Amino acid sequence: MTNSALASATADNAPLIRLRGVTKTYPGATAPFTALDDLSLDIRAGEFVAVTGESGSGKSTLLSLVAGIDRATRGEVRVGATAVHSLPEARMAEWRGAAVGIVFQFFQLIPTLSAAENVMLPMDFCDRWPARERRDRALALLERVGVADQADKLPSRLSGGQQQRVAIARALANDPPLLLADEPTGNLDSRTSESVLSLFGEIVSSGRTLLLVTHAPAALRHASRTVALADGRLVSDSRA
Amino acid sequence: MHRGRTLLSVIAIVTGLAAGGTVLDSWALVRVATREGYLASDPASATLRVDSAPAALLALVRAVPGVRDAEARRSTTARLTANGTTLTAFLFTSDDPSARRIGRLRGESGDWPPGPGAMTVERSSVEFSGVAVGESVRLSVGDGDPVDVRVSGIARDVGLAPGWMEHVVYGFVPWGTLRALGVPDRANEIRLVVQDGSLDQTGVRRVAFAARDALQAAGLRVTNVDVPVPGEHIHAAQMDSLLLTQGAFAIMALLLSAFLVVNLIAAMLAGQVREIGVMKAIGARSGQIAALYLTVAGALGVAATVISVPIAIVAGTRYGALKADLLNFDLTGYSVPLWAIVLQATVGVLLPVAAALFPVLRGCRMSVADALRDVGIRDDASPPRPVLMLGGMSRPALLSIRNAFRRRQRMVLTLLALSSAGAVFIGALNLRRAVRGSTDLVFDSQRYDFSLRVSERHDPDSLTAVVRAVEGVAGAEAWSGATATIDREDGTLGNGFSVLALPDSSTLFEATLTGGRWLQPGDSLALVAATGLERQEPDIVVGSRLRLIVAGKAAEWTVVGTVAGGPAPTAYVSREALAGFAGRGAGAVVVRAAIAGEASQLDLIQRTRAALAEHGMPVASSMRLAESRRSTEDHLLMVVDFLGAMAWLMLVVGGLGLGSTMAIAVLERTREIGVLRAIGARDRSVLLLVQAEGLTIGLLSWAIALPLSVPMSLLLGEAFGRIMLPVPSRPFPDAAAVGIWFALVVVVSLLASAWPAWRAMRVPAARALAYE
Repeated sequence: MTNSALASATADNAPLIRLRGVTKTYPGATAPFTALDDLSLDIRAGEFVAVTGESGSGKSTLLSLVAGIDRATRGEVRVGATAVHSLPEARMAEWRGAAVGIVFQFFQLIPTLSAAENVMLPMDFCDRWPARERRDRALALLERVGVADQADKLPSRLSGGQQQRVAIARALANDPPLLLADEPTGNLDSRTSESVLSLFGEIVSSGRTLLLVTHAPAALRHASRTVALADGRLVSDSRA
Repeated sequence: MHRGRTLLSVIAIVTGLAAGGTVLDSWALVRVATREGYLASDPASATLRVDSAPAALLALVRAVPGVRDAEARRSTTARLTANGTTLTAFLFTSDDPSARRIGRLRGESGDWPPGPGAMTVERSSVEFSGVAVGESVRLSVGDGDPVDVRVSGIARDVGLAPGWMEHVVYGFVPWGTLRALGVPDRANEIRLVVQDGSLDQTGVRRVAFAARDALQAAGLRVTNVDVPVPGEHIHAAQMDSLLLTQGAFAIMALLLSAFLVVNLIAAMLAGQVREIGVMKAIGARSGQIAALYLTVAGALGVAATVISVPIAIVAGTRYGALKADLLNFDLTGYSVPLWAIVLQATVGVLLPVAAALFPVLRGCRMSVADALRDVGIRDDASPPRPVLMLGGMSRPALLSIRNAFRRRQRMVLTLLALSSAGAVFIGALNLRRAVRGSTDLVFDSQRYDFSLRVSERHDPDSLTAVVRAVEGVAGAEAWSGATATIDREDGTLGNGFSVLALPDSSTLFEATLTGGRWLQPGDSLALVAATGLERQEPDIVVGSRLRLIVAGKAAEWTVVGTVAGGPAPTAYVSREALAGFAGRGAGAVVVRAAIAGEASQLDLIQRTRAALAEHGMPVASSMRLAESRRSTEDHLLMVVDFLGAMAWLMLVVGGLGLGSTMAIAVLERTREIGVLRAIGARDRSVLLLVQAEGLTIGLLSWAIALPLSVPMSLLLGEAFGRIMLPVPSRPFPDAAAVGIWFALVVVVSLLASAWPAWRAMRVPAARALAYE
């Protein structure tokens, strides 16, 4: 699904993300482990949703199912008009590259590529922008997240905060309407965390939807909605 | 957890061990079999060629101090026609072949010794000549009447170079058959053995020349004395050199296979960093953890040894049998010595442990904190600056190239394996070209199509006049020859060699000078040495003065030049110079045919023989140059192919090394691949990333192999020189060799990366988020 299709799918105020009766069970050594248990949840476009909960509550599983990097055992996961739960594996990477930007806890930048090259990599995979425009776009994104001066440095030469900003620029590379972030400040000091969360706030203000898995109380102040999970179930859902 | 990589490592060690073991086992087998088999035949210490050897004179030789025994036989060159093909035959006749004490023969099948009207064929001649027991063959000598004889049996003479290689049929016939062929029924060789088995070649030569003096004192003419290296088969030194050279490459392959163990253990450690951290956290000492992994390496070695030792025994026995066959020996009854098996087992178990030591010690030194923090993408050493500066290509292409440089130590080992294989491969191709070039050099100088040896010397002009008159002859020259021996200052004589005298204005021989000059009119006692003679007498250089005995007469000759030539020791002198020693008569005529094609030329040979016979100049033997060339090339290229086989072995190890390197790279970068998939990389992109990385390493190894092939070519040329004969070095690869190796590297790289690439494609995007 293209980003314009996503946009039109949400234009009638329908939820951008819709989960219905989602259950995810993992096989265990003695008994199966249920990470998500009959979860239903709607998230509208433009929301900054913080997902909280103890370790093992199902936060990261929820993120994986929405990103299409894992599949629900039961239930439906829809992003815009795309039924992610039934999308063929062959089309999944293409869809994800265009529709979803992911930010990881440990930045996960490719160490042999410079900051700019890391940002250009998803563009190469999705081929949405002409090759000659990709570097300019990458530089513009790095400018936007405040690390344009680090564009030609390898990740190992950047601080944690700078690496996470590059990772956010990379997540925005294909202009996806949906950002998913898994503990993006979990490996940063409090001051850097605050600046990264502010950056997320700015990105959401520009019309994107953000689903942020976090333990950090500070993150909740920036979110427009907080969803709490426990033992794979939704235990609270509050809006700021 | 590491089934694939474990399998690769075991296969690589098995390959290296089996290759090394095969060469070792075959060497041990051939060594024992040839030594014991050759010595058991009680080979002749020396052979004296005489005009005739009456039985009474044998007692004279046996009475010479130092002689233990002496026997006489006749050797005759004949033509053998079987199944429509005519071949050169060497016939041996003695009084009672089955009672021969010197160079004993063994009957293999059928009758031994041959009865009246029958012939026993030496086994090494059977296959190539197509003769079979029970069939009749036609023999003729010179222009005598042909005689049909029945092949009644097969015997083995371990002292002969294989007939298939020499393109000669060895046959044993009774005196009656020789008489029927018109050959005098007198022995023309006396073979003796010395009493003291510990004598060296010089010592044996003294005894042999004492025997020669005794015979000459009794009025007999001794034309040649041949003394081989005592106790060694004529080809033993070459075979040793070949096996040792191959052994060196096998050891190299074995060492390269060890790096796969380094890879495997490194991969195991990479995948178990956190486990190691936990073990340390609960009190495990580094030594205890190291012992754990070294035990795994030892177990790999045991597994590889268990598989490779039987393979090496089977392959070594077969390879040894092939080598023994080359030397005309039989390995039946011999088995691989225990010491060889014990040596392979020891190396097989200890090598992986030694190889694992470095990565294990490094891995076990990691601090607990570092080990437990192993959750993100691995930040390996940065690629070198030039690689980082690469531009003008897509990020996936850049990623493949830069990734190839991330683990430099591993990359160096992989490159070493692949580029060594490339260097040997290109070196072997260069050597093949050099050998072909050398053969060209030798045979291009001979501008005739066939040669005829007449039974007795005749006036050169008469010979050529008869031959030139034959229809289809474009040119003919009469050449004369004699046998010469170097009379050394210490009183000993060297082995005999041929001296050829050509007309001053020869157009059928065009020498390729390698030093000095060619013969000039007016040269007196000047000679030009060919490669084979230089090899036999290493002291010969341009300007050397040699005391030679030519046709029984001694004189001092000067070496004025050297020319390219084949393995046979030969010197060229002027016809005038030789006339002073061997008379003016010529013993051979070389002919250039006006017609091409084997059948036409064979017909021309028959007509020329008939013409010469008609003029009272019967022909004893004939040889087509093409046949002679094929025989020489077969000898030489077989050794080249044995050396080239090592390149394939190393390519297998190199390919396994690359496969293992790529497999480990994929394992170590599982999370990174998960991230790539999470940000939109499709299956095809991931597949291409890994394949391109493998190809990068492969192409780099190709580039490194090119300069590396120069010293390797020189090394192989040197080894070939020791094994066979010196060939002009061709250290630089030609376009074909570069192209063939390029294609091979591309195929091997893609094949070696295929499985790791497929594994990478199966890495789920979920691995990007799997921190626990």
